[in-house]
Amino acid sequence: MSDTLVKIGDAVAELDLDAVEPLVRDAVAAREEANAILEAMGAGMASVGELFESGEYFLADLVLAGEMMKEGVAVIEPLLKRDGQATKGAIILCTVKGDIHDIGKNLVGTMLGSAGFRVVDLGVDVPEEKVVEAIRTHGASSVALSVLLTTMVTSISDIVAAITEAGLRDQVKIAIGGACTTPELAERMQVDALGRDAVEAVRIFEGWLSD
Amino acid sequence: MPAAHDRILAALELRKPDRVPTFDLMQEYANIYEILRKKPLPIAFLFSNPYIAKIMDKVVAQPWVDQSRPVDKAMKDYTYDRTAASAKMGYDSAWVGYHPVWRYLSSKVVRDIYGRCWDVTLDGKGNVGTPMYRRGLISSPSDWKDWNKKDLLCLPEKNYRMFSLVQKDFGNRLFVFATFTGGLFELTWQCMGFEPFCVAIRREKEFIRRMIGFYTDLYCIMLEAFAEAGVPGVMYPNDMAYRSGPMLNPKVFEELYGESLRRLTGTAHALDLKIVIHSCGNVYSLLPWFADCGFDGVHALEPTAGVELAQAKEIIGDRLCLIGNIDVTHILVSATKEEVFETVHRAIQDAGKAGGYILGPTNSHPGMTVRNLRWMVEAVEKYGRYPLTG
Repeated sequence: MSDTLVKIGDAVAELDLDAVEPLVRDAVAAREEANAILEAMGAGMASVGELFESGEYFLADLVLAGEMMKEGVAVIEPLLKRDGQATKGAIILCTVKGDIHDIGKNLVGTMLGSAGFRVVDLGVDVPEEKVVEAIRTHGASSVALSVLLTTMVTSISDIVAAITEAGLRDQVKIAIGGACTTPELAERMQVDALGRDAVEAVRIFEGWLSD
Repeated sequence: MPAAHDRILAALELRKPDRVPTFDLMQEYANIYEILRKKPLPIAFLFSNPYIAKIMDKVVAQPWVDQSRPVDKAMKDYTYDRTAASAKMGYDSAWVGYHPVWRYLSSKVVRDIYGRCWDVTLDGKGNVGTPMYRRGLISSPSDWKDWNKKDLLCLPEKNYRMFSLVQKDFGNRLFVFATFTGGLFELTWQCMGFEPFCVAIRREKEFIRRMIGFYTDLYCIMLEAFAEAGVPGVMYPNDMAYRSGPMLNPKVFEELYGESLRRLTGTAHALDLKIVIHSCGNVYSLLPWFADCGFDGVHALEPTAGVELAQAKEIIGDRLCLIGNIDVTHILVSATKEEVFETVHRAIQDAGKAGGYILGPTNSHPGMTVRNLRWMVEAVEKYGRYPLTG
């Protein structure tokens, strides 16, 4: 890995907000491959995730790293489109119907994206039929559902039921996360996993990949 | 001095009252009306009927329409009814909010005078529910400079009038915790959205500090208004944590907000007001800081975020009164009477033995039932008398 790529990863890991974008521009000028630059940023994000899990970084730090990632990706986006982006597969992500909270969802999306997944973010307040449609359109084998409000947990079972009814349940794994989610709820809703935070979400989907 | 008042005061001063006091923060119209046996006005109809909603969309978009009067009146009625319901339930204290801050942008979206946009929600029982935060409207220093602050500057006077009435009619039965519509952290991040805020605290720290300074000054004047109205306590609502821990590095919280919080608590104490902080989420690591900032108590202590009363007591029980911890996802929603009694008993045993605990829900929630809330109050009578029995 070149010095510039190492510096990009370090800048993300150290939350050096104003360093990432110029470093990415340098890397592009030095004819580094877009996917290599993306991997370097992803490695930085993985370090941020580890520091978050060890209690050294906090939610705002994860979000900040995500914003830095976005600034870097914006620079290489045209190159990614040209070269094609390596991906670990598509994940359908949304906040469930009736709920519009998106901090957690966005963070999960950023972390999964930086880990190499193709994240199809359907947004907030998403009805079950949209989820089913997206699974079909993108050939996704995983779904990540975010829910903050206890009053909206039934929307999870609506989505699970719709996926089952569409005959897709056997080929799709579903994970949930959010303030009101508990292991009991995950069991009751018949989903495959519960993620406590965005870092754990990456571990869950990586795990399914190796399954 | 009424018993409820003494009871709360003793707990806030970490002494043992005659029994563990109770605390209410009910905000949902359906429960309030059920308790008061009032027939709700079909307000939700205005928002859900497509024809009326269309008319409403047109009317609120007119620049000449002054929404402040009807909104203030609706909020005044709500605050009064909400306090009356707490008193009728037999609580010792209540978190009472008066929020003349809403301005409808349409039948679906409402903004507040702090620059935050919310989705209108309906509770399915004919009432408007707690609005859901959607996004912010102030993202730069120039947005802040241009933001009309006239309505904000009217808040102390409006609150003085409202809380004078509340205190006159309910102060002999309830220890009233008056409140603000959001703490300094919430106001500063929600007016721009969390992602831009995380960047702004690095790139535009002075802008964030300016907003914090403005709201600190405003809230100090509101504290004067609460005290002038005769209210004995203040709830400072500021969600600073989520289920895994603080949203910001605690050092950043101190750097940005520490001085302001000490000023607020200092002002409250100089006015003989007790002041309690509310934060959802796992607050373990913030508890010592809350005490350092001068708060008398801490509320929420959310069990779904992993907060256990016994551990919170061990961390900070000698410096802060603990308030809340009764679960609003199951215990106060659909649990059996036995489960409610068992939860209350355990909470009292974990946090109430030496005093310094006020029992109540962690939050307000539309699923909470009056039946379960009554069981909670009943259980405190059974298990909460000092000296406590195992």
